[in-house]
Amino acid sequence: MKILEIQNLRKQYPGFLLDNVSFDVEEGSIMGFIGRNGAGKTTTIKSVLNLVHADGGTVRFLGKDLWASEAASKKQIGLVLGEFNYYKRKKLKAIAAVTKGFYEDWDDAAYEGLMKRFSLDPEKKINELSQGMRVKFALALALSHRARLLILDEPTSGLDPVSRDELLDIFRSIIEDGEHSILFSTHIISDLEKCADYITYIKGGKILVSTDADSFKGAYRLVSGEAEQLSRYRDRLIGFRGHAFGFTGLMRAEDAVRAEDLKVAPADMESIMIYTEKEDGHESAAE
Amino acid sequence: MKALLNKEFKLCLHPTIFIYLALVLMLLIPSYPYLVSCFFVCNAIFFVFQNARENGDSMYTAMLPVSKTQTVKARGLFVVIVQMIDIVLMAGMCALSLVAMPGFNSGGTDHSLTLLAFALILFTIFNLIFLPSFYKNGYKAGTAFIKGAIGVWIWIVVAEGLMIASGAMMMNGANVPFFRFLAEKLDCFPKTSEAWTAQGILFGTAAVIYALGTWLAVRLSVKHYERVDVQ
Repeated sequence: MKILEIQNLRKQYPGFLLDNVSFDVEEGSIMGFIGRNGAGKTTTIKSVLNLVHADGGTVRFLGKDLWASEAASKKQIGLVLGEFNYYKRKKLKAIAAVTKGFYEDWDDAAYEGLMKRFSLDPEKKINELSQGMRVKFALALALSHRARLLILDEPTSGLDPVSRDELLDIFRSIIEDGEHSILFSTHIISDLEKCADYITYIKGGKILVSTDADSFKGAYRLVSGEAEQLSRYRDRLIGFRGHAFGFTGLMRAEDAVRAEDLKVAPADMESIMIYTEKEDGHESAAE
Repeated sequence: MKALLNKEFKLCLHPTIFIYLALVLMLLIPSYPYLVSCFFVCNAIFFVFQNARENGDSMYTAMLPVSKTQTVKARGLFVVIVQMIDIVLMAGMCALSLVAMPGFNSGGTDHSLTLLAFALILFTIFNLIFLPSFYKNGYKAGTAFIKGAIGVWIWIVVAEGLMIASGAMMMNGANVPFFRFLAEKLDCFPKTSEAWTAQGILFGTAAVIYALGTWLAVRLSVKHYERVDVQ
């Protein structure tokens, strides 16, 4: 079952267009939402949640129009937009006490467990926390009201590798029951390698692809060859990087099959994104 | 609504609001335009809006399971509560003035129901200008306050000016019926049944104006804020 359905979402800003964005989030899955800074990830998330008004499109949450039942829908959505940067002179316990009042399903035990797990002191004020700890506090709030869907915009930015790994474990445990889902926007692609079931890739306000993670990775290959081979394969390369011994680049899997004289390797998500973003310029300056 | 109101008091409230509310003690200053004390309450409300903005309240609230309409209505209710506290405190000061400072206020409106009615109209003017102006964008609290303050000061000058003029005319023996009515029935602590009736009608009318004006201000604010993108 689809927990979130986004159809033809449009938002026009001067100099930027979110262009008919469509994708779904399945129940019991983690959707990785990737793209460069400024690609439209945050605009998409804010439009979905009606923080900014979309110029067109529909968003359905658990089969209902999310915008028409905004307050009721948001009770079942946990939202993290980066680090918690609000009421910086207030204590964590004061903010949590106020936030709790908005959710009938607030789970004190879950909240206290997360506060301990993240080593967060409720007596501390927001401005006494590091960037990473503020992200953890935002996550503790979002994970404490039994949300069916977690929408997380760059939740791992600013976290150390151990905390990030710990968080990814929490994400996996959340979706284990098959009823909860996570939409996870990030540019730290290695995090998605570890936990995403599906990938939606946005570039310049348009969705390039939205599919399961294996198909996403399986559709591309990393290839490398010598400098004199480059001219022969240049048209088939999505993006490439030249170096002293030749080149390394990204190719579609079906093109790579026919490139028998090149070294071919499976593509990781980070390489797919890097070389796809090089597509327009094809090659960046000699790195 | 209860949770939103709790947020207003626990997170958005700026501590200076208590200092500004305490300025109701200005009603014990002899010969003074007492409506000025209400301006400071408007100032306190502005600080709450500014404090909320600086703390990212609009984004925090937008992430909560509430609509923009509920958000604006809760803030409107918070404003009404603060203003009603001031009206109650002013009424207390008026009662205290009977003992503490009997006599005529040559600086403006006397301690009376008229003063409370004028305060309600002042708050109505402020709410009608400040709230819709702020919610046009949700962050320009300063601009909205300057506009509201201009409206408030015009009212203070008109209302207090009328009362000063009526008092001055009576003292100089001028017999203009309108000013005579102001001085004898409205600009005094009501001790006669005629004064109670006149001031009661004025206060009741002002209360209706306040209720309708503030309702309209919130309605306009909701309309404006629904169009705002929370960034």
